[in-house]
Order: sequence, then structure tokens, then C-alpha cells
Amino acid sequence: MATATGTLPQVQEETTIWTWLTTVDHKKIGTMYGISGFAFFLLAGLEALIIRTQLAVPNGAVVDADRYNQLFTMHALTMIFLGIMPLGAAFFNYFLPLMIGARDVAFPRLNALSYWVFLGGALLLTSSFIFGGAPDGGWFAYAPLSDEEFSPGAGLDFYAIGLLILGTSSLMASLNFAVTVFNMRAPGMSMMRLPVFIWMMLVVNFLLILSLPVITVALVQLVFDRNFTTNFFTPAEGGDPILWQHLFWVFAHPEVYVLILPSMGIVSEVLPVFSRKPLFGYAAIVFAGVAIGVLGFAVWSHHMFTTGLGTVPQIVFTASTMAIAVPTGIKIFNWMGTLYGGSIHFNTAMYFAVSFIALFTIGGISGVMHASPPVDSQQQDTYFIVAHIHYVLFGGAIVGIFSGLYYWFPKMTGRFLDERLGKIHFWLMFIGMNITFFPMHFLGLSGMPRRIYTYDADLGWETWNMVATIGSYMLALSIIVFLVNFFWTMRKEPTATDNPWDAPTLEWATSSPPPEHDFDVIPEVRDRDPLWYDRDHGIEKVEPPSEMHIHLPPPSYFPLLIGLGVLLLGVGVLSHLALTALGVVIVIYSIWGWALEPTE
Amino acid sequence: MEATEAAHGEHHTSLGVDNRMLLMWIFLASECLFFGSLISTYLIYKGESLVRPLPDDVFDIPLTSLSTFVLLVSSFTMVLAVYAAHHNFPKMMKLSLLSTILLGLVFLGFQVYEFRLFGSEGLNLSTNQFGASFFVLTGFHGVHVGVGVLYLGSMLIGSMRRNGLGPSGGLYMEIAGLYWHFVDIVWIVIFTVIYLIP
Amino acid sequence: MASDAHTKGSGSTLGPRQYIQITIGLAVVTVLELIASYAGLGTVTLVTVLIVMSAVKFGVVVALFMHLRFESRVFTQMFMLGLILATAILIGLLALFWNDSTDALGPEELPPWEHHGH
Repeated sequence: MATATGTLPQVQEETTIWTWLTTVDHKKIGTMYGISGFAFFLLAGLEALIIRTQLAVPNGAVVDADRYNQLFTMHALTMIFLGIMPLGAAFFNYFLPLMIGARDVAFPRLNALSYWVFLGGALLLTSSFIFGGAPDGGWFAYAPLSDEEFSPGAGLDFYAIGLLILGTSSLMASLNFAVTVFNMRAPGMSMMRLPVFIWMMLVVNFLLILSLPVITVALVQLVFDRNFTTNFFTPAEGGDPILWQHLFWVFAHPEVYVLILPSMGIVSEVLPVFSRKPLFGYAAIVFAGVAIGVLGFAVWSHHMFTTGLGTVPQIVFTASTMAIAVPTGIKIFNWMGTLYGGSIHFNTAMYFAVSFIALFTIGGISGVMHASPPVDSQQQDTYFIVAHIHYVLFGGAIVGIFSGLYYWFPKMTGRFLDERLGKIHFWLMFIGMNITFFPMHFLGLSGMPRRIYTYDADLGWETWNMVATIGSYMLALSIIVFLVNFFWTMRKEPTATDNPWDAPTLEWATSSPPPEHDFDVIPEVRDRDPLWYDRDHGIEKVEPPSEMHIHLPPPSYFPLLIGLGVLLLGVGVLSHLALTALGVVIVIYSIWGWALEPTE
Repeated sequence: MEATEAAHGEHHTSLGVDNRMLLMWIFLASECLFFGSLISTYLIYKGESLVRPLPDDVFDIPLTSLSTFVLLVSSFTMVLAVYAAHHNFPKMMKLSLLSTILLGLVFLGFQVYEFRLFGSEGLNLSTNQFGASFFVLTGFHGVHVGVGVLYLGSMLIGSMRRNGLGPSGGLYMEIAGLYWHFVDIVWIVIFTVIYLIP
Repeated sequence: MASDAHTKGSGSTLGPRQYIQITIGLAVVTVLELIASYAGLGTVTLVTVLIVMSAVKFGVVVALFMHLRFESRVFTQMFMLGLILATAILIGLLALFWNDSTDALGPEELPPWEHHGH
């Protein structure tokens, strides 16, 4: 029993597999999200390496066209839904309660359920490689590429069912987190004192809550088209493939911000700590994040300029797209304002955070270029776009996540990642990333289309393709250095104190790693940078009473069981409907058990 | 049912509202987008069907009006159940809850009848864009009613235990009511936009 | 206890009597909708009338049956966020599809579906 009452000092209980399977502790769930997310990140990276190896020389023959289509589709899906999103969710799970001064999220069992449903969906989607071929229609799965005629295999069904399950997981997690941010804050933690990371994640949660239902509808229509004889996207029968594109991008554009906003939040935490001064323009950064979220719903059609939207829609979506550059610019200037005049302490976390600003700015600028329809028509479906998204998602999202990892690692494990290896990791990644993706701008402008599996020798694309491939191997090397660093560090003795960086936010007010109940005494917040305020005003940490009774929710196996039921639901649609029926029974039974399970 | 998690440890919340209520309201905001997308699809495909039958050929407004009234009355019995749960009238609560469930089942019966009727007139999922978008939209509404029936049925069984729904019974009932009423207001929109507007 | 605070929060003054009145009101509006749809009004008038009446029903159920009027404003804000966004996207999509590729065309060149009239 990991629960009920406990007197300090906390007794460390034995951790078994069962502990992890039934845990409702946000830190353990966050860890599981992190490990799974990183494993899928490695898998997606491996897929990218195969792609780059195939393209290294003209007429490459590493994989055939069909496998290549599967690889680039799964690379995108895995990176987006199984890599970056869970890694963001990992940090948020781990640090949301710690940063707002709570003992857990609002619904601990729902939190565990989100993870198990995610894991089921992720394994289902990935297993398509074994069962008859992965989805091969691109992550956007445009009709008619996605219909039965052009995708006769089961790949697109795996895509639709997998994303439906993953969407359910994200929706549950987002609802849970949103309620937690609104309702579980420590005394004095007003909304405008929330750490920027929490604010950005709140925006992310609302983006997901409001956009996931739209893709759900589109995916349901796809499933019906492929399995139940409807013709939503079949032009010959009166359907309209453009409708899929609209519904997809109403979801997928906010989704892009779902990927980048967490890293913007992380960087906003790291920069002030290692500049030794408060974040410059807190309110402006928060407002800009919210504005990005709102505008994110008003720009979807800029992905569809070449479908012939008509003049007026083109003007409207050009304007709204360009408008997004304003809040983004506000953020970049505020980060620079934070650095300006600070006594900057350059460690690995800071290296990643500062390079985030530069790399993200490059990706942002090439993004604004596509806001103009004539420019967009030139660049659509070329490697220029590939360069753009990778500057935003690798240079932005991934680099930001690594910054957060080096920054929070001592809090999570009590150990510091090695700085020397960390800097080798950083430089290999920074140089490798630019060598991989910058040449893609040139390739795109010289006309190389995306998603071709090979190209002829005399098109003038050989040099830069070879350079990009070399860069991708440097990236792989940098990840190996990181993994060495990780495993080596984990063998060291934990030495981290509560607040080794002298950081201002609440997660540093408790031990490293935090006890199961997070805080001995729920902290009181007096300022936006609570720990700096307490330090400067000589406010001592409140000593815990000698005897404490902290109520923690008991572990539960129902989340795991429901996760299994949901997985069966999906597997049944793909194989035999009897499994779906079994899934429904398991889900209903477990919900009952869940509702009747005592939580006090 | 995910809404039954307790806000353990402290009962104080930052906004002074219950976590579970807040969760349900945000979830309903999400549902707005779900039905919004389905209704958008229906309207976009309006007039795009290549073959008959079209809405005018199959819609039976008096029949649908009747099922609309059934759902409206079920909203009334639901609100009574919430009232009774808050004021601790267990008998009235169980009775109202049971009526709501039965009315929900009657509504589903109407829907099954209507679907079969349309089917016999040659309209099914693959006939045309009207068939596809109509059946998917109203079918998903029906699924929501079905989930609501299961939800309320669970509440009814729960309320028959020795100590009923416990000290938070009124709250649980209110949250269930939110879901049920939402399904009702979606039907209000569907009835007007799909059935009545020519 | 949270439930105490809650009972106070939803302490609407409405009782069974008021609920009956509201239900009758909603039924009357529904009948009016039916009458309107059979009254042979022009399309624009009919659509306007129907949308207004169904919006009234929608609002009454949300405000009174779902107690939104008596609850914390946060609930209203959350729900309106979804409702407004859903409406905006619906209008946006309809505008995109109904004007689709008709920008430069005169009325006589309208694609076939425009002739059915909206």
C-alpha cells in the first residue's frame, strides 16, 4: 500500500512491476510517458535514418517505393504522436503538480488511464509494420490516397484506429490537466503567477480539447468510407476530398502548436534561471502564447492554398497566418530581453535553450514565407517545407525538450547529467541538425519534391542530399552520446540538493527527487518567482509538523484494465468484431469497478 | 464516469468549483466541436447528392416531432431527478431517473424505426451524400443517447444500494444531468437544422 | 466538503413547478417551429425564424436545466469557448464551400448546386 498515512521521514517502499502497472502517482506516470516517448523518438529517428540513407545518392536502393512511403508516413506519425507529444506530456505530468504546489493532478486514475490508452494506441499503430504494412498515405492521409482503391492494405485502417485511440488518450489527459491548473493551485498561486511552462501547457490542453473532436469526426468518416460503404471522400459518388483536408487541418494546425508550445514554455523556465534575472515581459509572453492558441484555429487553410480556395479565402488566411508572426515575435524578443543584462551561466540546458531561440527563429521566418500564396505555390510539396518543419519541430520542439531534460534531470533523479558529455551532445546535435536540414532549403528551391523515394543523377540534387545524410548521422551520434550520458549518470550517486540551480519555481522547493506526496507542507506563494522572493525576504521554509497524515490516492488496476479494453476495441475493428464486443464489456465492467472503488 | 475521482487531500479548490463539474463542462465544450464538425459535414454535403432519395423524399416530420417531444420530456424528468437528489427525496429521484431512462429508450426506439423506414425507402450509408452524412450524424447522436442510458442506468443501480449514492449523490446526479441535457440540446439543433430547414 | 459548497452553488430557486413551466414553454416553441415550417414562409424568413427559435430553446435548456445561470462563471466561459469556436468553424467551413470556386463566375455560370438555392 503506497498510501493512506505516513509519518516523516518517508519510508521508501519496494517498487515492483505491479507498483508501476497500478500507479496513480503523477511522477511515475510522467516517467512512463517519458520513457515510452523517448523509445518512440528513437524508433522514429531510426526511420528517418533509413530515409536519409535511401536518399544519400541518386537512385538509392535501400528500400523500395512502397516501404519508403510507409517509412516517411510512420516517421511523421511516430515523431508527432508517439514522440514529441508524450515527451511534452511527460514533463507536464511530472511537473504540473510540483510547479503549482499540489500533491497530484485533479484525477489521478484518469491520468493513469490516459497513459495506458496512449501506450495501447502507440503499440497498435506501430504494429502495423508487422501486420500487413504500415500506413503509407503521409501523416495527412489525403483522399484519394487513403481510400480503398489506392490503399488496399490495412495500413490506413491502422492509421485511423490508432489515431482515434491516441486522440482519446490526449483528450482525457488534457481535460485532467486543464482542471488541475484551474483548480489545484497552492494558496497565492494566481493565474498570473503560474510559471510560463504551465501557461503554455494550458494553451496546449485547450488546443487539444477543442481540435481533437474535429479529427475524430474526420477519422470516423475515413473509417466509414473504407469499411462501411460511405463515400464521404469519393468524388465519383458526390464526395469531396477537400472536406477531409479542411477537417484534417482544422485539427492539424493547432496540433503544430501543441508540439511547439511546450518547448516555448520550457525555454521560458530555463532562460531566467541561468540569466539570474526574472523573465522579461511575463504578461506579454503569456498573452502571446494565448494569442498563438487562438489564432491557431483561424489559419488552417494556409495548408491548402494550392487547392484553389478562391481569392477572398486566400487573403483572409494569408492575413491571419501572417498575424501569428506577431505573438511569436513578441516571445522571441522577450527571451532576448531576459538574456540582456543577465549574468548568464552557460551550461548544457542553457546551450539548448539559447540555440532554441535561433533555430526556432529560422523555422519561423521560413514559415511566414509560406503565408503568401504565390510563394507557397512555389514551395508547396518541396523540400523547402521539409526544411521549415524540421527547424520548427527539431530545432524548436526537440531542442527545447532536451533543454528541459538537462534542466530538470537533477529534480527527477537527484543526479546531474554530465556537463562535458552534455556539451558534446549539444554541439553534435546543433551542427548535425543544421547540416541535415539547412541544405533542404536549397533542395526545395531547386525543385526537389517531398516524398519521392529516389531521384536521378543529373538533377543537381546529389551534393546537398549527401550533406543532409551526413548531418543525419551526426544527429544519430549525438543521441548515442546522450544515451551514454544518461546511463552513466544513472549509475552515479545522487548528489542534487533541493534547489541546485537556485531556480525560482515551486518544484525546486521540495527534495530531489520529490517524495511521493510532493510537498511536506503545501507552500504559500507570495510572488511570481516564489523561491526568489522567499530567499530575498528571508522567509524560511515552513518546517513540517512532527507527525503528518497526508492522504494519497490508493493504486488502482482499473486504468490498466480500461486501457486494455480500449485497445481490444480498436484491434477488433481491425480484425474480428468479437474482440470489439469483448473490449466494450471490459470497459464497462472496469468503469463500474472504478466508480465503486474507494478513493478515500 | 471518469468524473467520480475524488479531489483527495484537500476539499478546497482554487476556483471554488468542484473538479468533476469543471471537467464535465470542459468536456461538453469539446463535444460542441464534435457535433459541430458532423453538422458542418451534413450542411456542406447538402445538395451534393447525385441520386435520390433526398431529405424531402424520406423525412417524416410528425414522427420526428414526436421523438423530439420524448427527448424534451426526458430532460424534464432528468431535471426532477437532480432536484430530488439535491433535496434528498430518494423515491422521487429513482422514479424520475427511471422515467428518464425509459424515455431515452423510447427515443432510441424511434430512431431505430426511422432508420429502418429510411432504409426501406432506399436510403442507406452508401446511397448518396445525404445518406452518409445523415446516418453518421444522427447515429452518433443516438450513440450518445445510448451511453447516457447506460450512465443513468448505472446511477439508478448505484442509488439502490444501502447508502444510495453517498454524500456526493446530488453532485453526481447533477453531472449526469449535464451530460443528458447536452445530448438534448444537440437534438434541438439537429431537429431544426436537419429536419425543419428546407 | 465540496458537495456542501456545491449544493449552495447550484442552489437555484427553481423547483418542480418552474421546471414544468419551462418544459411547457419549450414544447410551445417546438410547436411554433413546426407551424412555421408548414406556414409557407420565404426561405430566408423561415431559416431566420427557425434558427432564432431553436437558439432560444438551446439557451433555456443550458441556462435553466443545466443551471448555468446559477453556477460559477467559469463554467459559462468554458462552455461558450467550445460553442463559439464550433459555430465559427461551422460558418467558416460553409463560407469556404459555398463560395468555393465561384469567385470569378457570373450568376449564369454558377455550379449546379447553387441553382437549388440556399
